[in-house]
Amino acid sequence: MIWASLKRNPLGLVGLALLIAMLVMALGANWIAPYDPTRQTGEPFEPPSAAHWLGANDIGQDILSELIYGARISLLIGVLAAGIAMVIGTGVGLLAGYYRGAVGILLMRLVDVVLVIPFVPLMVLLAAYLGQNLWNLIAVIGLLIWARPARVIRSQVLSLAEREYVTAARAAGARDGHILIKHILPGVLSLALAQFVLATSSSILIEAYLSFLGLGDPTQKSWGAVLFYAQARNAFLSGAWVWWVIPPGLMITASVLGFALLGFALEEALNPRLKARAATTSWRAPTSPKAKPAVNKSPVSR
Amino acid sequence: MARFVIGKIGQYAIVLWIAVTLNFALPRLMPGNPLALLAGEEPGMLTAQQRTQLMANVGLDQPLPAQYVRYLQNLARGDLGYSFQKNKPIATILADRLPWTLLLTVTSLLISTVLGVTLGAAAAWQRGGRRDVGLLGFFVFLESLPSFWVGMLLVALFAVQFPIFPTFGAVTPWMTLEGIAWVEDVARHLVLPLTTLTIVSVSGTFIVSRYSMLAVLGEDYISVARAKGLRERAVLFRHALRNALLPIATVFTLNLAFAFGGATVVETVFSYPGVGRLVYEAVLNRDYPVLQAAFLMITVMVVIANILADAIYPFLDPRVRHAQTRGGAQ
Repeated sequence: MIWASLKRNPLGLVGLALLIAMLVMALGANWIAPYDPTRQTGEPFEPPSAAHWLGANDIGQDILSELIYGARISLLIGVLAAGIAMVIGTGVGLLAGYYRGAVGILLMRLVDVVLVIPFVPLMVLLAAYLGQNLWNLIAVIGLLIWARPARVIRSQVLSLAEREYVTAARAAGARDGHILIKHILPGVLSLALAQFVLATSSSILIEAYLSFLGLGDPTQKSWGAVLFYAQARNAFLSGAWVWWVIPPGLMITASVLGFALLGFALEEALNPRLKARAATTSWRAPTSPKAKPAVNKSPVSR
Repeated sequence: MARFVIGKIGQYAIVLWIAVTLNFALPRLMPGNPLALLAGEEPGMLTAQQRTQLMANVGLDQPLPAQYVRYLQNLARGDLGYSFQKNKPIATILADRLPWTLLLTVTSLLISTVLGVTLGAAAAWQRGGRRDVGLLGFFVFLESLPSFWVGMLLVALFAVQFPIFPTFGAVTPWMTLEGIAWVEDVARHLVLPLTTLTIVSVSGTFIVSRYSMLAVLGEDYISVARAKGLRERAVLFRHALRNALLPIATVFTLNLAFAFGGATVVETVFSYPGVGRLVYEAVLNRDYPVLQAAFLMITVMVVIANILADAIYPFLDPRVRHAQTRGGAQ
């Protein structure tokens, strides 16, 4: 069913193709990359040649290999941070949608609070305090972007909780935990998948920003970190920008775009609320037209 | 209505309290010497007098609750702390940086709002058409661009390869320009950062405008207006766009708040002397007090903007006003 509706969405297919390319690069880095990116294999600031297609960086590491191995770090951070966000977001969304009393109100207040806090300065603050380490980075990103998915999932749970089979299960004496996990969770999983893909897109971009500001893990070079060094060594003042600045930026754009396009396509294919409308209406659609559109990426990150 | 307002204010009060408390707790609970974190400087680098001054100011020798009260008192007096690295009160540093940041971010916000609303309305008007899909794809692409990369490319192209614009700063250093010459100098320095910031922020406005336009176009009164035989242009501008502007106004107000935080990444690429660049310098130098003050300032602005947006909304939209008086609004 997913595939059938995805097939009719050209932008979604482009996204899928981009992601497969990134995934192949990340998984097969050992075989695809010409060199070990952590070792000096060329002259410092070497321009592109047959041996080094994209030249070498300031300490003689092969830039092409850096980019191929960088896919691992960038995708890993993106996927894991989005995973954390989805576990929290789905949990909060389920509980807030199912228990409409004090628990639900309290949880939604929490979601509103998290949405209002300017999260990019907070992220910079936390990353600076916690220290530059891959796991801290993942945790910080994940802990700050779960509120949007929580909101989307809650609105789905609200409608699922009214269905006959849920009422029937409750009448038959099923416990809340059983109903939530057996009857309601399956109904939101596909929506959660779309939100997960979108969250991965944001996480990759956020990681690139933090790495570019020098807040990334210095031992694990992501694409943002490659650009951090290019900027620090003034690559754009010489001809080096063509092979040192353009390629990593293209990699970031391609993967962020890939996840975003696929995420929107999935959202459209899976969200019953959106499916009823015309094919392209769902892009970044808030759940209700009168709701305040959530500003999901504060401009401070720019 | 009253209950609604109190609930909202309570929510914003919680946001502020969380931000303030986080600021208080982070330097004190992190491993390491809290004195170093509070000063943003190794204690050994401080003079004996500075150290006594700092200790007295934050009351580090007292129990935590007393420190907390003192911290709140200092904040209430507008005392954001002192940067020993820059040897200035942080409030003064922020005040120096704000004009540059606002020049950059507010100009960009205005441009991207005009562009985003116009194109968003144009796309929604022919929903699903070639123009709509094309614009949508283009703006999703823009949304995926890392701003620092766009900035680096613009510098490489228009400041180095073709030296039309300066590579960094907000004014030419070591020159005392006046009048028109100064304005021209500032404008020349503004072009590249402004272009970068606008490229990466215009898609947000476009997507919101397009969506709220689509929602409005589905309403009955649009069909009525059309059925009355009004010209398309009249329907678009007088009936549809006016109503679609409501959510756009909200987003605009919120973005205005974020404008105070500057654009850390763009300002860093262009060494633009705004608040965003200040945050970057503070990260580099581990000047924690400055980082915290900037975070706090942005949070306060965001909360003010949210309150403004909530306050303005009923005036813009009678439906919201009536719903609230009936007590039905969520």
